[in-house]
Amino acid sequence: MKRSGQLNRRQFLAAAGTAVASAPYLIPSGVLAARGRSGASERITTAHIGVGGRGSKLLRETKGFQEPGLVNIAAVCDIDRSRLARALEQAGAGVMPYHDYRYILERKDIDAVVIGTPDHWHGVQVVHAAECGKHIYCEKPACCTIEEGKAMVASVKENKVAAQIGSQGRSQPEAYLAHRYLVNGNIGHIRRVDCFHYPSPEDKNPVPDSDPPAELDWDMWLGPLRWRPYNKRYCHGTFRWLLESGGGQIRDRGAHVMSCAMWWMGADGTGPVTIEATGTPPTKGLWDSAVLMDVTYTFRNPDWVLTWRQMPNDQLPPAEERRPEELNNEIRKITRPGYGAIYRGDRGEFIHWGGDGGTWAERKARNWKLPAGGRDVYRSPGHFEDWFNGIKTGAKTIMNIEAGVGAANLCILGNLSYILGRKLEWDQAKQTIVGDEAAQRMMSRPQRHPYHL
Amino acid sequence: MSMNNLSRKSLAAGAAGLFAAPAGTARPETVDELIARIRDASDKVRTEAWLNAGKAGAPAVKPLAKVMTDNDLEVARAAKRALWKLVRDAGRPRAGRQTRAVEAELIGLLGDDQAVLVRREALWMLSEIGGRNSIKPVAQLMKNAELREDARMSLERIPTKRAITALKARFKAAPEDFKAHIAQSLRKRGEQVAGYPCRKLAPTRKTDLKPL
Repeated sequence: MKRSGQLNRRQFLAAAGTAVASAPYLIPSGVLAARGRSGASERITTAHIGVGGRGSKLLRETKGFQEPGLVNIAAVCDIDRSRLARALEQAGAGVMPYHDYRYILERKDIDAVVIGTPDHWHGVQVVHAAECGKHIYCEKPACCTIEEGKAMVASVKENKVAAQIGSQGRSQPEAYLAHRYLVNGNIGHIRRVDCFHYPSPEDKNPVPDSDPPAELDWDMWLGPLRWRPYNKRYCHGTFRWLLESGGGQIRDRGAHVMSCAMWWMGADGTGPVTIEATGTPPTKGLWDSAVLMDVTYTFRNPDWVLTWRQMPNDQLPPAEERRPEELNNEIRKITRPGYGAIYRGDRGEFIHWGGDGGTWAERKARNWKLPAGGRDVYRSPGHFEDWFNGIKTGAKTIMNIEAGVGAANLCILGNLSYILGRKLEWDQAKQTIVGDEAAQRMMSRPQRHPYHL
Repeated sequence: MSMNNLSRKSLAAGAAGLFAAPAGTARPETVDELIARIRDASDKVRTEAWLNAGKAGAPAVKPLAKVMTDNDLEVARAAKRALWKLVRDAGRPRAGRQTRAVEAELIGLLGDDQAVLVRREALWMLSEIGGRNSIKPVAQLMKNAELREDARMSLERIPTKRAITALKARFKAAPEDFKAHIAQSLRKRGEQVAGYPCRKLAPTRKTDLKPL
């Protein structure tokens, strides 16, 4: 991703000007900034909620924008004291530490929050932040339930804040090349997209429940989830392999790979009419997300099929070998070949690997030149930069809340079909499962007091 | 590069065949057989057993609940997963009679004679398939200090007016420290609640760390 250090103020504002018709959220004061450096009133004051694991990387990335004066990091927050202490060191002098993110939401000087908490907190924290008027960058997947997604979309719209979901694959240089290649009909009409991914892990060494470590506020880690005793296989990071908190690879990486599919297929705002999943569970341990998985989403008007498959490593398509002379600042070696998607058109196929911070397009798309009269597509200046643009101009972000929730809903519905062991019908307009009352109940999940939407 | 190395046929479905019903069992598995396989020492056998527990129906509910407290963590876990499988199968569309039979057995797991972990799990299972018969026994557990929060959430999810009526009744009688919890459920169900404003944005926990 292009870092802010490489983006001067003129470039940034030029990018920001792409949506002149939109109402800006932050009004620049008119104070002249030093050359290449934003004025104080143009800086976005951020707070970081959840600063371990992925949250730590988001903090580091945001730090890169602090030097050129695009942001001012004011606060960090975590319910793990050790992680909070490390983040405080990382963030630097003057940054305020918090245990409870709601103190941050009370601060009027904070413009925006960067949320890097476990997935089961995303819905609640996005809604709360929006209700407090904060702009939001939230890690993917956007939500854990259909109900959370609805509430997130409603609160972001109602409070007119800019939200960016962290499916940053859309903002990668090769994602632009792939998108442009596909929409110009190079493989003809696309009727099928097959996403592939290596399996979710199994817990080979289960452990019994125990007392939580002293530095961890277990109750607040659980937050909206039903209470249960601590087990060190829940966290940190490993929450991803539990259906209720992380959802397995389909929600972790599906929110990336399927996000690209929805973007490139022009399918944001649409949804499948049926979802059918099968899978194999772990044979022991706490984690319960499917190890192998096969989900088929059927779309209508236009008709196409999207599949998500977690498959044995030896069945994954091989990664394209890249010649040294091809590599540059934007075109890099494929370092994560274990996931991606195959686009099947009536005149050929196209494959990409990755789909998150690493997105690699097949050579033929990289080498393709846009002809005169060809259709160009939006080229994101970078995922954070695109968000800043949204904050400053009101322009819709590339992974806006509707798109983020739409991608997450695919993951949620796939898991629901797997859990229930039956095909589901989905009404996109009404945002509801059809004809299955038990499945409808599972579109939401009661939340513990007071950690609720 | 060939794109055809990713087969279009269902890979996971093929892998799921690894966990198909045991060979040669044309007749339905008895509850005793199911329990024996849930208790098996082999991870694979236990997994096969719980994956195929869906059709065991109401008669298997109490025996499985008993195994949920087994000293062997993996056996207990397999029993819990089998019970969930059974509940999800019972909740399928047009399964009315089976749903109610399983519901009745789950209600039987809410009593004082059951371990807390079993009662808690039963509350959540009833949140998915419980109907009018579940309302009173679930609401009753809102008086239980250990289980009241799970009971509240279970009741919140059961989509009947009776559930709202029960929440209102418990709200009136609840101790002061629990009223805000029930108020949350009532608001979620579209009810107005006076005197107990939403606390979701009220911070409560401070850190002892200081800025650098």
